[in-house]
Amino acid sequence: MSRPVLIRREQALRGGQPLSFAIGLVVALTIGIVLLLGAGHDPVAVYERMFVAALGDPDSWSVTLNRAVPLGLAGLAVAIAGSMGLWNIGAEGQILAGAMMAAGVARIGEGWPGPVLVTAILVGGVVGGGLWALGPAVARSRIGVNEILTTLMLNEVALRLTQWLIHGPWKDPDSFNFPLAPMIPDHGRLPALFGRAHVGVIVALVVIVLFAVAVNRTAWGFELRVAGSSGATARYAGISLERKTAAVLVMAGGVAGLAGGIELAGTADRLTEGISNGFGYAGIIVAALALMRPSGVAAVAVLFGAVQIGGQSIQTMGVSSSVSTILQALILFGAIGAGVLSRYQVRMVPGDPDDPGGDGVQVGGTT
Amino acid sequence: MIESETPPTMAAVELSGIWKRFPGVVANAGANLSISRGSIHAVLGENGAGKSTLMNVLAGVYRPDEGEVRVEGVAHRFRTPADALAAGIGMVHQEFRLVPSFTVAENVVLGAAAGILRRQAIEDEVADLAEQFGLATRPDRPVWQLSMGERQRVEILKALWRDAHILILDEPTAVLTPAEADELGVVLRAMADAGRSVIFISHKLHEVTGFCDEATVLRGGRTVAASVRVADTDAGELASLMVGSSPMTTERPPAHPAGPPLLEVSGLSALGDRGLPALESVDLTVRSGEIVGIAGVAGNGQRELCQVVAGLRQSTAGTVHLAGDDLTGASPRRLFQAGLGYIPEDRLGVGLAPRLSVVDNSILRTYEAHRRGPFIVAEKAEAHCVDLVERFGVRTGPLHEPMAGLSGGNLQRLLVGRELSGRPRVVVAAQPTRGLDVQGVKAIQDLLVEAREAGAAVLLISEDLDELLTLADRLVVMHDGQIIGEFDPTTASRSEIGEAMIGHDAGVGS
Repeated sequence: MSRPVLIRREQALRGGQPLSFAIGLVVALTIGIVLLLGAGHDPVAVYERMFVAALGDPDSWSVTLNRAVPLGLAGLAVAIAGSMGLWNIGAEGQILAGAMMAAGVARIGEGWPGPVLVTAILVGGVVGGGLWALGPAVARSRIGVNEILTTLMLNEVALRLTQWLIHGPWKDPDSFNFPLAPMIPDHGRLPALFGRAHVGVIVALVVIVLFAVAVNRTAWGFELRVAGSSGATARYAGISLERKTAAVLVMAGGVAGLAGGIELAGTADRLTEGISNGFGYAGIIVAALALMRPSGVAAVAVLFGAVQIGGQSIQTMGVSSSVSTILQALILFGAIGAGVLSRYQVRMVPGDPDDPGGDGVQVGGTT
Repeated sequence: MIESETPPTMAAVELSGIWKRFPGVVANAGANLSISRGSIHAVLGENGAGKSTLMNVLAGVYRPDEGEVRVEGVAHRFRTPADALAAGIGMVHQEFRLVPSFTVAENVVLGAAAGILRRQAIEDEVADLAEQFGLATRPDRPVWQLSMGERQRVEILKALWRDAHILILDEPTAVLTPAEADELGVVLRAMADAGRSVIFISHKLHEVTGFCDEATVLRGGRTVAASVRVADTDAGELASLMVGSSPMTTERPPAHPAGPPLLEVSGLSALGDRGLPALESVDLTVRSGEIVGIAGVAGNGQRELCQVVAGLRQSTAGTVHLAGDDLTGASPRRLFQAGLGYIPEDRLGVGLAPRLSVVDNSILRTYEAHRRGPFIVAEKAEAHCVDLVERFGVRTGPLHEPMAGLSGGNLQRLLVGRELSGRPRVVVAAQPTRGLDVQGVKAIQDLLVEAREAGAAVLLISEDLDELLTLADRLVVMHDGQIIGEFDPTTASRSEIGEAMIGHDAGVGS
């Protein structure tokens, strides 16, 4: 009898990540064919529509890029913290907090000139997200409260606060009693870039590149990466962790908050409770696919955005939203699953299939 | 009568010719162990001697590559810990495996009870069992409220509840206060008197001579002394068996007069990880051009001493002077800049960042010197790395790949090279050669001797007595957080040092 076991590769395969994404895509689309046939659709037509809607022409690209902006920034918000070994699960709440602050700025600054207002809205987003992460940041760095729990729980708080603003003080008097916040002024909207793409695409790209350079090339980033490898090693190297931990979590919050500001001024045009649309959680997947490296976040976000836009587009063909969601999930699942293979290899070893592990599975180290 | 069916000579447990290899390491190389029924049997050995592996083989966690496991005369091939438990073998691990929010009783029966649990009933049953063996416990208390000693008793109860006749305790006293350790001794004796066998893993020799009947000593994966009657031996003999001898390839460096004192530690006290005193009023001076060795059974304050000197642990009293400057409580970076090279015991967890590249690891201590503005100059860092790799003979793959791909010897060469490359005035080396192959050991020892020749003051902590006897100009022995003896390595006998290691105040020699 022999059975497969996963063996960790000495070194990750070169180019393994893009390759595995491609493999995952092929596997997922193959399974998707069965799914679509079962649901009575023509898989070729569906796939074609997905591709065209997401990447077929400049206009589709503009929509995909717009979608990639919050995904990429949320992914960055997770990856910055992840570089230091911290888990920011709160990008969703930080996006909402950023959007709320940005909306508040838009209310105050109605009379300001366009460029000033737009800048102020985006800065408001950063400040809102950063403030939202401040509590978890201080709690973590001062008394070691687990940031996973605090950031996650604050997501719910941010959602309730948004709902309260929309249903209460910020409800649009002209909305015929619908719970809608007023539109932000026209001159506060992000200028267009091409097609439907707005300048948020550039802003996000610049921010991602800045952080990628900071983490990979600066002394600050070096300290971050050492701390992410082991806290004890960081102390040995003379790196003080307390302030750095707090700063990194606040920065991560600010980056997610920027996404909230961009969504408000770029696509949503008003504060809604669905303005984040799960981007904060999707950001965790984006960061994981980018192996927690800020430098990988942009590419993954564009692919992820394309999958989302393509998946939504087929609903107009009568494909139910659940089938579309399953298809999106399959693609991401395939990519993540294949990602494992770039770090592990499958080997057949003799042994009993019912062996519960013991010393056969050498996935981790042995002691 | 069960007694008459089994000959009284038959061992409760018999392990023979056990081999267990891991990638790059042979943990057990034909180890033997025989435990007689109703006895408390100590298994002794330094870290890395193969104690834990052998116990994991017995407890069904590992399967041996070769060798035989017999329990009550019957050969077994355990696949899982559950198989071993079914044969009556229970293990109390060093890290407790308890659910903090469950009560004592719930933890005891967890996984071993089916159907509906009646709280009162199980609490009563657990209380009965505890009383039977004199284990003071409160079955209705949640585990998070309990002291470490009480938690350990819950672990023991878990094994007894599952009817374990052979109980393995892995360094059980490491987490206990001395009073709790004494209580444990009483409980273990009650269990042995009830016909159960206890395997007691430790390197605290006074406990072994205090409550054990027999002892087996492991070294380098082999049994070097099997089932010695504790009554027929003494702690000194056991200590010298444990530290044993490894083939030394390094020659004793020629003696030369030591220079001015560079490291002066006086009245230094500190707490250990568990908040108990680990270091008490230690005085120590290391001079330029001298290697001072610290011998001692592991866990007697050597680790804490290194950490305090290197700035990684707060002291509670006393001072540390480096070349005359008071650097008590200074940060690790300040100490490094003042000329302290530190080779920590835990290479991968403290000394290196295994997920970062070889280049990043080579500048771990000096990255500030490779800055231009906010940036680290990649060429400069890489040049430094290449220099280290060449000077210290590190065999490495691509320099920008994670450090973790290197072998143990090469990891240590890079670490030692990095610490020594700036010509430190003081070098603190904790277990610098542990676990390395012969070549690696020689390379590291040569580097330490070179540092001494260059005028550094070297403090060497090692579990290898031969290494200390060969390299050190002076040898001090630590016991229970104190320095209790100083020896001249050229004249001291191993048994004298062994006596001192167990706390017998023999060492005023030299």
